Amino acid sequence: MGLRKRSAVIGAAAGVAAAALAIAGCSSSSSSTSSSAATGGATGNAATSGASSSASGPASLTVWRMGGSVPSQVTWMNSVVAEFHKEFPQYANTQVNVKWIPWGNRTQDWNNALSSGKNIPDITELGNTDTPAEAATGILAPLNSNLSSWSGTKGLVPGMLANDTQSGTTYAVPWFGGVRAVWYRTDQFKKAGITAAPTTWAELQADAVKLQNAYPGTAGFDAITNDTNAFASFIWGAGGQIATQDSSGKWTGNLTDPKTEAAIKYYVGLYTTAKVSPSKYIGQTELGNAGATSGGPNEDFGLGKLDMYIDGPWAKATLPKNSVDTANISSFPIPSQNGPNPAPVFAGGSDLAVFKTSPNQQAAWDLITVMDNPANSTSFAALSGFFSPYSAEITASENTGGPFMAGFAKAALNGQTAPLNAKNWATADNGKLNIIPTMLKQLMQGAPFDSTVAAANTQLANVLNTGSAS
Amino acid sequence: MVTSSQNRPGTPSPAGSTNEGPEPRGPRNTTGRSVSLFLDRSFQQRAGIWIRKRGVGPYLLLLPATAVIAALILWPAVQVGLFSFQNYGLMQISGVLPTQWVGWANYSQILHDHEFWVSLKISVYFAVVVVPLTLIVGTLVGLLLERLGPKMRMFVSVSAILAWATPAVTASVVFANLVGTDGGVVDWALAKLPSWLGGGAHWAGYSWTNAALPAYTVLTVMLVWTGFPFIAVTVLAALRTLPSELHEAARVDGAGPWRDFWKVTFPLLRPVFLVLALLSTIWDFGMFTQAYIINGQLGNPDQYNLGLYEYAQAFTQPPHYGVASAAAFVLTIILLIVTVGYVRAAIKQGALA
Repeated sequence: MGLRKRSAVIGAAAGVAAAALAIAGCSSSSSSTSSSAATGGATGNAATSGASSSASGPASLTVWRMGGSVPSQVTWMNSVVAEFHKEFPQYANTQVNVKWIPWGNRTQDWNNALSSGKNIPDITELGNTDTPAEAATGILAPLNSNLSSWSGTKGLVPGMLANDTQSGTTYAVPWFGGVRAVWYRTDQFKKAGITAAPTTWAELQADAVKLQNAYPGTAGFDAITNDTNAFASFIWGAGGQIATQDSSGKWTGNLTDPKTEAAIKYYVGLYTTAKVSPSKYIGQTELGNAGATSGGPNEDFGLGKLDMYIDGPWAKATLPKNSVDTANISSFPIPSQNGPNPAPVFAGGSDLAVFKTSPNQQAAWDLITVMDNPANSTSFAALSGFFSPYSAEITASENTGGPFMAGFAKAALNGQTAPLNAKNWATADNGKLNIIPTMLKQLMQGAPFDSTVAAANTQLANVLNTGSAS
Repeated sequence: MVTSSQNRPGTPSPAGSTNEGPEPRGPRNTTGRSVSLFLDRSFQQRAGIWIRKRGVGPYLLLLPATAVIAALILWPAVQVGLFSFQNYGLMQISGVLPTQWVGWANYSQILHDHEFWVSLKISVYFAVVVVPLTLIVGTLVGLLLERLGPKMRMFVSVSAILAWATPAVTASVVFANLVGTDGGVVDWALAKLPSWLGGGAHWAGYSWTNAALPAYTVLTVMLVWTGFPFIAVTVLAALRTLPSELHEAARVDGAGPWRDFWKVTFPLLRPVFLVLALLSTIWDFGMFTQAYIINGQLGNPDQYNLGLYEYAQAFTQPPHYGVASAAAFVLTIILLIVTVGYVRAAIKQGALA
């Protein structure tokens, strides 16, 4: 447990970007958490700015959280607000409103807030892969002067902070990190005669078949097309890349590289030849249709219709209430092509940022310093199976996750983010083009391999370089 | 305006009571009518006369409607036209950066965009299938309605109108659930069907919405279902204006129902069919709501029609309002060409009749 492992963990989390991105919304309910300036478990903390000067704070601060309201997170937020009021007496009368934004609506809602000037958040959570694009779009306030005087800054994982920095200006602070792994049920593995978690593609496919045979009517695996954050692990697990950037900043698409093509062939084959994934997952995210906030593999796994699927630990919150068995749920890292080490995994997470047009810049930053201090960010991460953004806290929590978290912890040792945090990645991987999802979908539906992959590769390079496919 | 009964011509008022208003008295007119009006009427009434003399009345009556249309449709259309020649995105809409004029760049980007041609193809195929189908089903139901007794006609009309009155979102959600992969009644029924009827277990969990052909098949069924009642009711109304002597004469001459329809009914109703075909084309070609819901919101670009394509340009990150405006204009121009074609055909029909 020496320095080597520790730095590996840090490096893993360093790549952090939005796991959050592909959570793709939990539920569309939005609720407000207002908090009185009273009680709360607040003990003054080291990581505060104390820089606030105004005598009377704003009447209210609005925080946009992503996903659906989760009770434990509401409780957490209430205690943070109490701490905020205690630490910054000038904000004692400032009400903090939390608005829950479904993941699928976030860019639309940011755009509306920016363009209309109405209903703007003071603070917004955003997926780490969103940050470069949104910073370039101009919705985030620069934080350099705040960061230089904040005691929390130096403890943050440097790579996570670097992801939020463009040309020397930092636009967001990392709040938590997270990774995906394969979910399975230990009781099902036992009945199917699987003694050890698969560590190669061949084993993964064979185990999916075994599970389907042991549990007729279920699907063995979820070869969904619209979750590039998960599919990336197959490309990286074959030693391939999605796209690479040279020293001059020019992107080259790598989809037609033999290693990447091997990953595409294997993944498409899970549906077309191995038949371990149902046709309905074509065109779906892990939560069903592109804009859906529940359903899909996540729901099917909970209901016992799907034996293994890829998701992050945060997805426990969206499992259906009538899930058949939550006691035996466990996880293993996404296998690489030939094992024995797991495939690199997309290092996701969320950031906190001050909205550029917020009239309460200082108060918003002051609240961030409380939400994101080491104690609060770590307790928040622990609520949902995330990792803290602080190097010291990650090291401390390495061995405390339990069996369900073990697979994720192992996966987190091997994280990668590029090119999923490229400035134009949002254009490449969302509704306008959905380049890789559409390519996988068309291949699964019988399109010719070489020309389809080549067309997607050209499109990808064009978009990453110019922001436009043509 | 000037017809209130107690002021009819020929009942001139006493001269002493005509000194209201600043206007000079007009020269005495030979009719005597306008003189008395000018002498006795208020300003409003005099304005009325002026309007009638100049023949501007109809235009004044059109003014309120024109103003509303100009404010709600023409002005936004002009704006869209301007945007289509600009690099117009978030930075421009929020005023951070000035708008840039980019000439035809947005249009050339669209015309070079593979996805645009895919979506155009889908829109054209869809309209080509749905418009005739809707017209055929609607006409058949209209003919049926004409032959039904009053009670049954009422029952069928009301049932059909309910389908027409169903909001697009409601109908789409209902159809999306009917063809759902988990518990959708269509998949369930197809799986229960014997194989010689095309059924079988492979239908269980069949996804109707993850490829263009099945998704637009569902949309076709839905749009015919929601579109035919309007056709049926319009055709029924038109049928009832036809004199029954024509049908009798045709029958006397030995025409069966088939020939009666094609030789008597159809030629007489051709203008009605032309209008119905035009309206259906506009509705189906520009469809957005239903496709958005059935496709599972945006889904992937290989399933976009023009409506979804435009939406994706404007409202996915980063927004390109300029490109979307150009796409909207291309769609408008296509529909204008179609409309002109129909109108020309209609005029020709009118000239021949």
